[in-house]
Amino acid sequence: MGNKQQAGTAKKVGIPALFIILAILPPFFLSQYWLHVMIISLFYVMMASSWNLIAGFTGQVSFAHAAFSGIGAYASGMVAVNLGVPPWLGILIGTGVAALLGLGLGYLCIRMGGIYLSLTTLGFSEILRIIITNEDKWTRGTMGLQVPGFFSEYSKANYYYLFLVVTIFLLIVIYWIVHSEMGLTFRAVLNDELAASSSGINTIRVRILAFTISSAMAGLAGGLYGHYLMLITPDIPSLGQMFLVLAMAVIGGMGSFIGPIVGSFVLETLSEYIRIYGEYHVLLFGLVALAMARFAPEGLMGIVGKKWRKEWVH
Amino acid sequence: MKRLMVLVTVMTVLAMGSWAWAADTIKIGVVGPRTGPAAATGKAFEEGIAIALDHLNAKGGVLGKQVEVVFEDTGGVPEKAASALEKLATRDKVPIVVGESHSSSALAEIEVANRYKIPLIICEAWHDDITKKNYKWVFRAGPVNSGVVDFYIAPFVKDNRFKKVAIVRENSDWGVGIAEKTETDLKNFGIPFITLKVERESKDFYTELTKIKGENPDIILAYIYGTGLHFFVAQAHEVGLSPKCLILDGAGPPSLWDTFWKNVGKAGELELFMSSMHEKVHLTPTSRKFWDDYKKKYGKDPTDYKTRSIYNVVLIAADAINRAKSTDNEPIVAALEKTNLEVTTGIVKFGLKQGTYEYHQWMPPMLVVQWQGQKQVVVYPKEAATGALKKVK
Repeated sequence: MGNKQQAGTAKKVGIPALFIILAILPPFFLSQYWLHVMIISLFYVMMASSWNLIAGFTGQVSFAHAAFSGIGAYASGMVAVNLGVPPWLGILIGTGVAALLGLGLGYLCIRMGGIYLSLTTLGFSEILRIIITNEDKWTRGTMGLQVPGFFSEYSKANYYYLFLVVTIFLLIVIYWIVHSEMGLTFRAVLNDELAASSSGINTIRVRILAFTISSAMAGLAGGLYGHYLMLITPDIPSLGQMFLVLAMAVIGGMGSFIGPIVGSFVLETLSEYIRIYGEYHVLLFGLVALAMARFAPEGLMGIVGKKWRKEWVH
Repeated sequence: MKRLMVLVTVMTVLAMGSWAWAADTIKIGVVGPRTGPAAATGKAFEEGIAIALDHLNAKGGVLGKQVEVVFEDTGGVPEKAASALEKLATRDKVPIVVGESHSSSALAEIEVANRYKIPLIICEAWHDDITKKNYKWVFRAGPVNSGVVDFYIAPFVKDNRFKKVAIVRENSDWGVGIAEKTETDLKNFGIPFITLKVERESKDFYTELTKIKGENPDIILAYIYGTGLHFFVAQAHEVGLSPKCLILDGAGPPSLWDTFWKNVGKAGELELFMSSMHEKVHLTPTSRKFWDDYKKKYGKDPTDYKTRSIYNVVLIAADAINRAKSTDNEPIVAALEKTNLEVTTGIVKFGLKQGTYEYHQWMPPMLVVQWQGQKQVVVYPKEAATGALKKVK
């Protein structure tokens, strides 16, 4: 855990800038199929990084993150289908609804903390799934809700850039939060809640705030995802999806800024190669995540960081 | 700099994933459930595909090349179905896709097919909208809900003088669509009915069955697809509803799966189901050939009629590519529209009049079959019947 260092602002700006330039290139040389994989990876970057914000930085393991992405997707999808609201506005509504419900759920159960928060969010997630699956008029249950896309002319390149811009925006926000006063309080709460509260930090408020921000981000990611696939199904808020996001953050490196980003790309790309084994890939990722949590708790970035010990492994 | 080199190398390796090798085969894409509650359909598809490929390749393949199939699993869920079709279109770059047996999945797939302008022939997803949307790239050589109800289920109920009907439908596009159509037709015939909805993957139907018992119907139209149907049939017998009240499996295949008798026991006696295949009903020479080829390859009679449905659409796709003399989408669609091909269930000709579900649609004749002493007896329509409908007084 390094603090703000003076390791050269040139590098601090230079490396992200280089990445952004590299990130602009894929549509020029990737096939449609691999561009699709990139877009899905970006969705997972948003999910894993925003989950990391609560789990990695304030130590609250929530299982409702996929549920919030589902809330964002369904809210946006339903206003689009029933009221003809354009997806651009829809995803903002979806983000708002996810934030509100996040605030509500956070307010109700965050005081419990620890394992109880995990259990409550797990329950919340299952209840949501059951409601969505059994409701066949508004959410259309397992049949899936067909929704319009963002662009009148379908283009993978356009979607890629849209996802890229939003992902970068979310990452900047996360980076900013983590490196701000707020981030400092987040980590104080993570490291020693008692010490934090005795030094005047309202730990409950900090945790609810983190939970709400993170839920809103999941809602935004879910809305984008739904309108990209043009089909919203109970798979988006499912626990399977949740465990995949969790595995990405854990394998990449929880509590590090880069970790979930790397984890998302690695796992999503890998799952394309091992897709022939069907559902077993989630099981495999689960096992790897478990092994990682035991033997390399700082994830891939922790392993790489040990080798390179450079500043961009935070 | 070292870090950068590693990164560049990694990205290059990833980019090479889109490896495209010059293949000397014609690849036909297939979509269908190989996992999930209707995984048996995937098995039936595999068998039908194998026989179709043997048949085609023995005759020299298509455009002088051997034919190959890329079978993508849909798991019976729409999101996987859409991504399966997307993969076939963008990664495997197949010229045509056939298959599918779930309406909800098919409705997601036709959007993708339309987006990528890739010809798609659906064989066993019955929802009207699949062809009613009138997409240029979408065809169906198989049953359609409206056709199945108008020509078979509703007249069967009427002609056999059933007095009260219970419709039990799952919450899928197929279930909702076929139940609505049935309600309309029964209303027109003046036959009273009740409708109950059940969850697609439900295994416990006692609540619904108790309600049905209270209504005292003499036939249940069960629009449930998958092993759930087995539970339904077994539980209906357990609560004493059947065999006094008959059950018609509105889809068919679940009543033909290997596990059927194991799961339902004696509750299967007198159960009815829809089918498009029967040992004694051979409408074309191709049907006979299919039967013989199947027996030769698998050492038993074919049971699931979807084996034959997928066999038909693979043949239709190969025929279209042959006549188009191309693997490009426009010529293939043009050739499909001129299809005049004998398959196992008749001569395929797609409807061309726009505006209804009959556009790009061809429906095979169907049969209502009853299990009598574990033997399949065709009881409807009359001209194809191999025996009389048995009821319990």
